[in-house]
Amino acid sequence: MTISRRLLVSVAVFGLTGTLAGFAAAADKIAIITPGHDNPFFKAEAVGAEAKAKELGYEAIVMVHNDDANKQNELFDSAIAAGVKAIVLDNAGADATVAAVKKAKDKGIPSFLIDREITASGIAISQIVSNNYQGAQLGAQEFVKLMGEKGPFAELVGKESDTNAGIRSKGYHDIIDQYPDLKMVAHQTANWSQPEAYKVMESMLQAHPEIKGVISGNDTMAMGARAALEAAGRGDVIVVGFDGSNDVRDSILKNGIKATVLQPAYAEAQIAVEQADKFLKTGKTGVAEKQLMDCVLINAANAKKLETFALAK
Amino acid sequence: MKTIVLSAAVLAVAFAFTGCKLVKTGGDGTTAQVAADESGDDIRNAARIQKTYEPQLVPLIRSSAVDVATLKAAIGESLDAAGQKYGHRGAGEGGAWSFAIKGTGKVVSAALQSRAAHIDLDIDGDGTADVVIQIGPVVMGSALRDFAPFYSFTDFRDQIEFAKLGRALNAAAVKGLTRPTSDVTGKTVTFVGAVSLHSAGETLNVVPISIEIAP
Repeated sequence: MTISRRLLVSVAVFGLTGTLAGFAAAADKIAIITPGHDNPFFKAEAVGAEAKAKELGYEAIVMVHNDDANKQNELFDSAIAAGVKAIVLDNAGADATVAAVKKAKDKGIPSFLIDREITASGIAISQIVSNNYQGAQLGAQEFVKLMGEKGPFAELVGKESDTNAGIRSKGYHDIIDQYPDLKMVAHQTANWSQPEAYKVMESMLQAHPEIKGVISGNDTMAMGARAALEAAGRGDVIVVGFDGSNDVRDSILKNGIKATVLQPAYAEAQIAVEQADKFLKTGKTGVAEKQLMDCVLINAANAKKLETFALAK
Repeated sequence: MKTIVLSAAVLAVAFAFTGCKLVKTGGDGTTAQVAADESGDDIRNAARIQKTYEPQLVPLIRSSAVDVATLKAAIGESLDAAGQKYGHRGAGEGGAWSFAIKGTGKVVSAALQSRAAHIDLDIDGDGTADVVIQIGPVVMGSALRDFAPFYSFTDFRDQIEFAKLGRALNAAAVKGLTRPTSDVTGKTVTFVGAVSLHSAGETLNVVPISIEIAP
């Protein structure tokens, strides 16, 4: 609803400024397209990008594709029709997005990708990607330390179709598997979902009551697992997540979940808008197309500084 | 010359017909089809390492390595300034600065039994460790990859393939090391390697390309 309203508003503004042409130039528009804002991670991206766009004098058109590539394609059409100068995108599929970005490029509209990459280079101007592998290694190192380098543990894996699920799991195992006394007794997907993780954790506990730790591919699954563990009177089990959400921050501060890894979503979105601005003004960004943004370990020592996917200095 | 032209032609033709990416896999000029997806990562990365590790990366690190003392002093003033002067930020603005580093110091402690074995060196003679030399087989970080300007993330399918290159470079580096077999505490070690830093206060965790232990 918000989307169509904002679109209407921008169309109205456009119409108004159109009639005033010659007196004042309309603000250039930037489209900001992400998955749904019910996940606070994506909301933080949209909020960060919108704030930076306004600061730099652009009008922001904020839209969501809910991880639906067809919807994303329609949003690209809308953005092109609305005459945006640039598109900032957290995409709906590494392969499926290539065509949409190319379509915009062919119309002279540059795209600046955040969070996740696409499978082609040379089509988007920037791809600013969270370094999930580095982040997972940080989380795993902390997990190993918390576990005292030994004991049975379980892993909750994200949605199998999502590249990030695989790379986080790989980053975890590249560290954890070096410790022969750490034994993975259960390993299952909970599709990034909190309720699903709750159920999976319940059955894992029944099958493996000896579990001492759970490493999770994201924070929502970590929250589900933690709730199931507490309900079963197993608050002693160590849980480590990934994303750096406010929910997990609060849990860490209450000595619930022990650690997570922050993906700097807010900063990433702002950098994308800065690069879009520079590109529109000078024809280049001055940096390579694909850029990795490193993640930061969050535990009791720095959790207080975390707010909406940004860490205060 | 003829062979090169021929294989280039074969490559171009095969590329045009199949759309598959071909890489040179051996020193004998043979080519093979390599899947563009994840299953081809290891072959592509092995080819990259063969082409670049000894011929380019090792000489680059040797020629640009900065003394521990010089680097520490520069970082102490400003990591960004030190990075611009001596370093490279291969993974982009959001990543760590990577440096080539060298030095000689006394071993104050060593963990040789660990899978992530390391030797800790005192360089300035105050009795405490100034650098940690990772001798593997498990090596953390991607300093070797990120110091080299010729590995660009843009050239990789995705961050999985890029991460695998980082690991493979670490493996190539520690494979060539002369590993100490007994306790080395108190001995003098000279090293050359690479290190990555996100902030000035971080431990210098070096990925070495060579270590020499004085008898």
